[in-house]
Amino acid sequence: MIKIDALAKSFAISRGQKLSDSEKQDVRYSKDAFHSVRNVSFDCGSGEVLGLLGPNGAGKTTTLRILSTALQPDSGSVLIEGVDVLKQPVQARKKIGFLSSSTGLYGRLTAYENIAYFARLHGMSETALKQRIEELFTLLNMHDFANRKADAMSSGMKQKTAIARAVVHSPKVVILDEPTTGLDIMTTQTVLDFIRSLKQQGTPVIFSTHHLDEVASLCDRVVVIDKGISAFSDSFDAFKALSADGDLRQSFMNVINPAGHNREYN
Amino acid sequence: MWQVYLKELTELVRDKKTMFFVILLPILVFPVLFGIMGLVVANVAKNAEAEEHRYVIINADKAPELTEALFYHKNFKKVESDLTEPEALKQAIRDDKFDLAIIIADDFSADVTNLTQSQWTVIYNMSSQLDMIDKYFNQLLRDYSKKLQLAKLDSLGVSAEKVDALLQPVKLEKVNTAESRENLGEKIGGFVAYILIPLCLIGCSYPAVDIGAGEKERGTLETLLICPISRTSIVLGKFLTVLTTGLASALITVSSFGGWGYVIGSLMGVDIVAKTMSTLGVADLLLILMMLIPLSAIFASLLLSLSIYARSFKEAQNYIGPLSMIVFMPLIVALMPGVELTWAMAMLPIANVALAIKELIKGTMDIGMLLAIFGSTVVIAGAMLAFCVSWFQKEKVLFR
Repeated sequence: MIKIDALAKSFAISRGQKLSDSEKQDVRYSKDAFHSVRNVSFDCGSGEVLGLLGPNGAGKTTTLRILSTALQPDSGSVLIEGVDVLKQPVQARKKIGFLSSSTGLYGRLTAYENIAYFARLHGMSETALKQRIEELFTLLNMHDFANRKADAMSSGMKQKTAIARAVVHSPKVVILDEPTTGLDIMTTQTVLDFIRSLKQQGTPVIFSTHHLDEVASLCDRVVVIDKGISAFSDSFDAFKALSADGDLRQSFMNVINPAGHNREYN
Repeated sequence: MWQVYLKELTELVRDKKTMFFVILLPILVFPVLFGIMGLVVANVAKNAEAEEHRYVIINADKAPELTEALFYHKNFKKVESDLTEPEALKQAIRDDKFDLAIIIADDFSADVTNLTQSQWTVIYNMSSQLDMIDKYFNQLLRDYSKKLQLAKLDSLGVSAEKVDALLQPVKLEKVNTAESRENLGEKIGGFVAYILIPLCLIGCSYPAVDIGAGEKERGTLETLLICPISRTSIVLGKFLTVLTTGLASALITVSSFGGWGYVIGSLMGVDIVAKTMSTLGVADLLLILMMLIPLSAIFASLLLSLSIYARSFKEAQNYIGPLSMIVFMPLIVALMPGVELTWAMAMLPIANVALAIKELIKGTMDIGMLLAIFGSTVVIAGAMLAFCVSWFQKEKVLFR
């Protein structure tokens, strides 16, 4: 369904920009560029949930942004249902639903209008979008605040609206960038339930997270990105088996520090 | 593109701050402010005219007629003083003992047989912009001098009818070819441009910040970028929104000034506004609007580029502040007295549009020059818009 091969992306460093000591130690900094993503490859099949793990600044967000066509990679390929994201970005965008924890809404538009705007941008007809939004409102239990402006919503309502907006065009793959970071427990639950429902429908989900319990309860596959390289990409069971006692934290550490040197990430 | 445009417009209309800047400010606040300003100025002038100036006159007995005229003038009040030396008088004026000292020369004589020129001195603070002392005293002195002149000429045997030929050998009759509209246009034309152009800028700037940097700050930009429409369509939709508000702001202001002018004019019987409005044809108004469209387009693209670059509202506002200063510079140049619309001036952006608006109001616009200015402004606007579009494609701008 989704196949990512040897992605690489670097950002130019403006002249005069001073690098901090920790940045100088990062192998990804060269004289004039920051090689955020160096070699990331993984794939995700239909109905699978893929968890993207990695330390802060490892290149997770950049990878997901490339996947969602917001950024263009320097090299590598991304195929979604056979559509090359890089060669046909507009085609590919119709197949992608994207959401991150920092994704906002238009505060002066109501829940309905926020969702309808994106539906229209996705080229949906008025009748189709009405029907689809109605469906989503029922699914996410949003009828109570359908006509409330986003500015006047609670964070849970906002997150539900954002979810509905991300999937209004019935995407073939859903990409979530740290969807639960900074959310309260109730809202987090909404997001996790939503991922589960996508899984049931057979829609693949790729999401980055720092919460290993989410990985344990949802993921079929795990990818660990470290310093811009996909250091691990296999099934959840294989990931779990990396540590002797099945401790996911230890598995993660083993991927990051194969030799057991606890330099930076202890 | 139209989807983006419609949505941005809906959102802006719902925003109280934008509505304040675009609608309320020009409709209510500006006219009230200008009204108050006008009242204050009128009041100051009136007070200055009615003010009484205390004076001291030295050697008053040498020119009794003038002394008398001064004494009975309603704006002058005689004060007694022993001082006679100029330095001492100067100090006394500085100490606010009185406002004016007139020193009539010791050797002055009002006698008709005296045919020498006499030098007098007046001492007062001349720093006031409304120099009423000068105005009133000169009037008195002119009358007095004229009387002396006639009396002296008479004593020399010059008859009354020869006096004119002697004093004013040539009398000039002036015929003004400027229509009253041209005079009026010269006075208010520059002022109109001075209000309209910054208003276009203000009308553009708030929405630009809101739909550029605001999109980043609220975290909606990324979602927008991954919609299956081209980035060019997104920018154009946003650009049109900003352009619309900029023009709306200017239009609303013009109609509000017209409306208020009409109300005030009919209430207070001042017909200058009615006169102005009637001399300006619909065609002229449309031409003014036509000049404002590409100018607003320049502002809209510039502001949108800055705003998209900025990470937050605050950053965007920091960029836009200096930009306003840059826009005001050519406007001030255009408003300087004596600056005319020449081909050289027609090449100076913003200033050329300001001058064109002035010429249009005066009714003396050269059509070739108008087209040249319109054309050059359109070209600049196109270039700015192209820049804005390509700017919006850059990752380093969008994901800073």
